[in-house]
Amino acid sequence: MRYLLITMLFLGAGFWAILESGAADVFLEATRPDFQKIPIAVLGFRDGQLPDNPGSRLTQVLKDDLRRSLIFSVTDQAKLGLTLDGAYGAQNVLFKQAADNGIAVLVWGQVAARQPDLVLDGLIYDGVKQEAIASKRYVGAPPVLRQMAHRLADELVYRYTGEPGIAKTKIAFVSEQGGSRELYVMDYDGYGPRQVTADGFLSLMPRWSPDRRHLVFTTYRSRTKQDIDAIELATGKRATLVSMPGLNITPAFSPDGTDLVFASSNEGNAEIYKMSLGTKTLTRLTVNNGGDLSPAWAPSGRELAFVSDRGGSPQIYLMSADGSNVRRLTFEGDHNAAPAWSPRGNWIAYVCRGQDRQYKLCLISPDGQKRIQITSGQGVDDSPSWSPDGRHLVFSSTAEGKSHIYMINSDGTDLERLTSGGVHHSAPAWSPA
Amino acid sequence: MHTCMRTVTVVGWLGLVALVGAGCSKSIQADAGSKSFEPAPSQAKPGGAGSGAGQEAPVSQFGSLPGDNNGKPAGKGSGEERVSEGVAVAKAEPSGSSRQQEMQQEQVATAAAGLDDVYFAYDSWKLSEDGQRALSKAAEWLKANGSQKLAVEGHCDERGTQAYNLVLGQKRAKAVRNYLVELGVAGNRITVVSYGKDRPFCRESNESCYQQNRRGHLVVSDK
Repeated sequence: MRYLLITMLFLGAGFWAILESGAADVFLEATRPDFQKIPIAVLGFRDGQLPDNPGSRLTQVLKDDLRRSLIFSVTDQAKLGLTLDGAYGAQNVLFKQAADNGIAVLVWGQVAARQPDLVLDGLIYDGVKQEAIASKRYVGAPPVLRQMAHRLADELVYRYTGEPGIAKTKIAFVSEQGGSRELYVMDYDGYGPRQVTADGFLSLMPRWSPDRRHLVFTTYRSRTKQDIDAIELATGKRATLVSMPGLNITPAFSPDGTDLVFASSNEGNAEIYKMSLGTKTLTRLTVNNGGDLSPAWAPSGRELAFVSDRGGSPQIYLMSADGSNVRRLTFEGDHNAAPAWSPRGNWIAYVCRGQDRQYKLCLISPDGQKRIQITSGQGVDDSPSWSPDGRHLVFSSTAEGKSHIYMINSDGTDLERLTSGGVHHSAPAWSPA
Repeated sequence: MHTCMRTVTVVGWLGLVALVGAGCSKSIQADAGSKSFEPAPSQAKPGGAGSGAGQEAPVSQFGSLPGDNNGKPAGKGSGEERVSEGVAVAKAEPSGSSRQQEMQQEQVATAAAGLDDVYFAYDSWKLSEDGQRALSKAAEWLKANGSQKLAVEGHCDERGTQAYNLVLGQKRAKAVRNYLVELGVAGNRITVVSYGKDRPFCRESNESCYQQNRRGHLVVSDK
């Protein structure tokens, strides 16, 4: 399976000129070929007191997090002789070695038991300041040891970009279990899946509340009822938000958490509605003979991207959050659907069908001027969802046969499968940071 | 049990390559030479509270370098950050729905009625001639069995997005219902539901499998 960056604008100088015009945007800077990632070395974690020696696993977790941040280039410190174990001479020898190899940041630490907890200490040495700039101590129960490494990774990203980092984020998704499809939540790197619903039939398309405490989704309650429910993750408490005749699908919280948009077919064909969560006031946003579905909020909360087949084939449209100012965004191909607006506002990811008739991922700018296909090859790609830092997408794909969840950089590089085993995994939704 | 307060001394002028990331607002410290972490107070972090809610430990609290092992034990320092799962997830509880049992009863009743399903072309909800014949038979059966009700399930193949296929499946189910109503079956005896591509009959990625999944599935139900 090969994923290629295909862009009609790529070769022209125009593409880079556009990128440079958005110089304030770290996403763009981090995807520029001349972006200098910060060389970092993770020396490791001493774990002498602990029986199962988690140090090397933590080192790998931290390295993977830093690699995925796209801010750091992780050096193979072992090749440079920069390792934690073994006898060292004076520490300045170590730093000198790092300096000679162009490493800007050194990270190391230790993990130890403090019953009933584990304590992870991390030290960050900055080569520019030539001093340790942070010492972080994380304490938690043994099962959250990976989370501690994730927190250290996010601390590094924060210190060098001012952004919160994504290592502690989660991904909600749907997984098949004994003939039913249920909601799950896993770490952003695919670890630790936890089952959220056990309704025994079909739950679809989860989306996060902005505070990460709730998921909203469609559940097939009976033969004739498909409701939109919210579930509070910490308690499992359910609330039915929408229960109208017909399809009630593709719910999404507004960025400020005050409104819910969704599609419902209760008046005939699928139309998009907005419900105020405070007053439960319902507003119909679309009025036409085609199906309208999959509303996706702009991060500003002022606009929505959505799918409509009013023109004969499913295409992406934009409208203001009150339903006015509708205009068509996509014109290439005869099947464009499942839009997801990037957290930085500059791209809308969606499923596009190209000339090879495959369902793949594309990005388009909200002004329609730039369009990029970021995946290619066999299989049906579906349900793109952005990382909160706007540098990655998760999506489902049948590229390897069964439907699995994948992560990919927004420029189409570094494809990584997050799920393994199982029968069918779909509809990923990346949590807010 | 023991974590250590350690002292460390960094000696030497280190010419590390100055590469500062985008958005990094830290100033480059010019002074070089010996530094001792031990007495140094915690350096205020430019830019605030970091990625988490926890406080920052003083650098001296864990100035531990490889090979440096002359530390003293430290208690539960104030600079700790308590780490939890991040998003706590309650154990999933079965909702007590009798959906599975309901479906088993429906399967038995449907098999006994001997109704045929209706199949569709790709991305289409238009009834074929075969489909119309199957529905004529179903209409006769419904007229002969006046107490029975029919649920029409719209299904789709795996191509296209999940959400679009739910809408397409709904159109297929409604096309079936509308035709039965045209044939004289009371509309209130027929319910429609779409499962899109989420309850496939066949799981392979080939045309014969796709054809099986593009269907209006007729289910006899007593509700």
